[in-house]
Amino acid sequence: MTVTVSITSIPGFAEWRNEARKLLAAQVPPQDIAWNNEGDVQSNLFTDSLKLAAKGNIPNVPRKFMELAETAICHSNPKRFALLYKILWRLLFENKNLLYLTTDNDMMELQHMVKAVRHDAYKITAFLRFREIQHAGEEYFVAWYKPEHYTLERVTHFFQTRFKNMRWSILMPYRAAHWDLQNLHMEDNPNPDLYPREDKVEEYWLGYYANIFNPARPKKGAMLNQMPKKYWQNMPETKLIPNMLRTAHERTRDMIEKANRSK
Amino acid sequence: MSDRILEKLEILADAAKYDASCASGSAGKRSAGKNDKGIGSLTGGSGICHSFTPDGRCVSLLKILMTNFCIYDCHYCINRKSSNVQRARFTVEEVVNLTLSFYKRNYIEGLFLSSGIIQTPDYTMESMVRIAKSLRVDQGFKGYIHLKTIPNASPELQEQAGIYADRLSINVELPTQVGLEKFAPEKSLSNITDAMDHLKGKITEAKESKTLSGKRAPRFAPGGQSTQMIVGADGADDKTILKSSFGLYAKQKLKRIYYSAFSPIPDASKILPLKPAPLVREHRLYQADWLFRFYEFQPEEILQGTNDGMLDLTMDPKLAWALRNRDVFPIDLNKADKSMLLRVPGLGVTTVKKILSLRRYTKLTWEDLVKLHVPLNRVKAFVMVNNWSPPPALLEADRLAQNLTPPEQMELFA
Ligand code: SF4
Repeated sequence: MTVTVSITSIPGFAEWRNEARKLLAAQVPPQDIAWNNEGDVQSNLFTDSLKLAAKGNIPNVPRKFMELAETAICHSNPKRFALLYKILWRLLFENKNLLYLTTDNDMMELQHMVKAVRHDAYKITAFLRFREIQHAGEEYFVAWYKPEHYTLERVTHFFQTRFKNMRWSILMPYRAAHWDLQNLHMEDNPNPDLYPREDKVEEYWLGYYANIFNPARPKKGAMLNQMPKKYWQNMPETKLIPNMLRTAHERTRDMIEKANRSK
Repeated sequence: MSDRILEKLEILADAAKYDASCASGSAGKRSAGKNDKGIGSLTGGSGICHSFTPDGRCVSLLKILMTNFCIYDCHYCINRKSSNVQRARFTVEEVVNLTLSFYKRNYIEGLFLSSGIIQTPDYTMESMVRIAKSLRVDQGFKGYIHLKTIPNASPELQEQAGIYADRLSINVELPTQVGLEKFAPEKSLSNITDAMDHLKGKITEAKESKTLSGKRAPRFAPGGQSTQMIVGADGADDKTILKSSFGLYAKQKLKRIYYSAFSPIPDASKILPLKPAPLVREHRLYQADWLFRFYEFQPEEILQGTNDGMLDLTMDPKLAWALRNRDVFPIDLNKADKSMLLRVPGLGVTTVKKILSLRRYTKLTWEDLVKLHVPLNRVKAFVMVNNWSPPPALLEADRLAQNLTPPEQMELFA
């Protein structure tokens, strides 16, 4: 018999944990579960697991697993719920060292997701840009950022710590975080038009960026490796790059020629 | 802010870019306390790269000169007094404002400030210290501050700098006194190392008093010191450069040394070479430096590999070592200790860590290596696992070196 389980929240960790608990108590093996999440739920919004009867106690789940699960759940891949339940099942009933078998296929998939989520969150802390507006006579900072996964929740702590005494909002397509110096307020599906069109300091940042480039050493590949084009939309300085690369060679040649002439 | 500031920023950012060190080092964690009005944090590891330039470098700090006026005449430097570049000078407030404005927009991790020398070394150093102090004390800035100290400034000012900065650096620039005399006539190697020694004393003092007495000593440059050497401007060979690096790591306890292949600068001095030093030489020096810092190699083992004082440009120094010491291979990945695993060409520090942790639970096989993304062609002659041991002929083959070198090289020259 297949049990259908629906996760309706994003990213869905608390919900998944509750469902997984019930499923474990009823000893439902991974292959008997169909996991739905918001996007693909059709007619039957109910969750079968409500009707499950507990058959036994749930063994202790190692903390390390919960940490990995909490991270992996932010991945945008809908398969994440099923994968996590399968690993949990195997960990409890098949091999208690599973989390350390880094070359096991399921574990590789999990690590891959965890890594992608961490990377995505790191890039937000790096590439997100605030623009300043005046709001009720005070500085207010607003950012718009498109992450690849559901990673807003994973970076709010960073911004709350670093910009504790600044009022700010971070807008993402699925959710926004607003900080008013004391409380963090989350809002679903914010209006992207709230992102200001300009900022009075951006011009200085562009001026700075343009002038720290050494035209004698363009390395486009190395740059793209760290800063692939998918991130460029978040970063105002990237609009300068094509021209910087185009003129690099010419600028170096001029410099050397000038030096030669003066010898 | 104004047009004038933008213009200054352009000049003083341009003037600072020839300095290689870009990333901020680790200076522990820090953030504004509960009732603190300040701004900023340090996240622990090395600083975040907030952007990358088209030359592939990480942009982590606002890296500028306070001024590019200079009374000295170092030949390799674009700011030397005899160069006719455009000059500018920031005020203390201007630097503080720019740093904060950039920081609040999440462009940077902090400030990296150096300067040409105006009036006297002490006068210059004092202005730089005022900038750091204003950020820390007046603005409660908890981000990263790196000050490039002026070697001839007084010890008192150097100490002040250490109180407000996370990292201090003094550039050695050229590894020998002869080189310095020719290219930087006003500088002396002993002044530079003396200043480093003095700061080292202060840094260890601050660290030790914290652990011994339980009382927290005032912070003093918790991120340590770093320096930079220019490669290929004077006649110093790799052996000389590396020897002086290993000495600086051991004696002055430097955290990091940057190598910068000499690259032509606008309005160059006539005694400088016209051609840039090959980038691959700089790359090999970094690799040798890493072998020493992260791969548990002894200086002699690295220096042995130099030929006429130079590292082999055609292969990385770790592979070169392995080829000179073929008799220690193949290494059993299921048994060998960490220091031997680190010597296998193709196994980096992270992979070695993964291997050590995995082999506690399972016997490594060839398939595990595939899954760990180990470069199989590179390692196959050097390692054994459960279902693989290399035929002896593989390791003895004369062609081993040729087989293993070309791909990396192509990339480097591309
Ligand atoms: S003292 Fe510094 S700024 Fe002045 S010329 Fe020498 S290297 Fe350049």
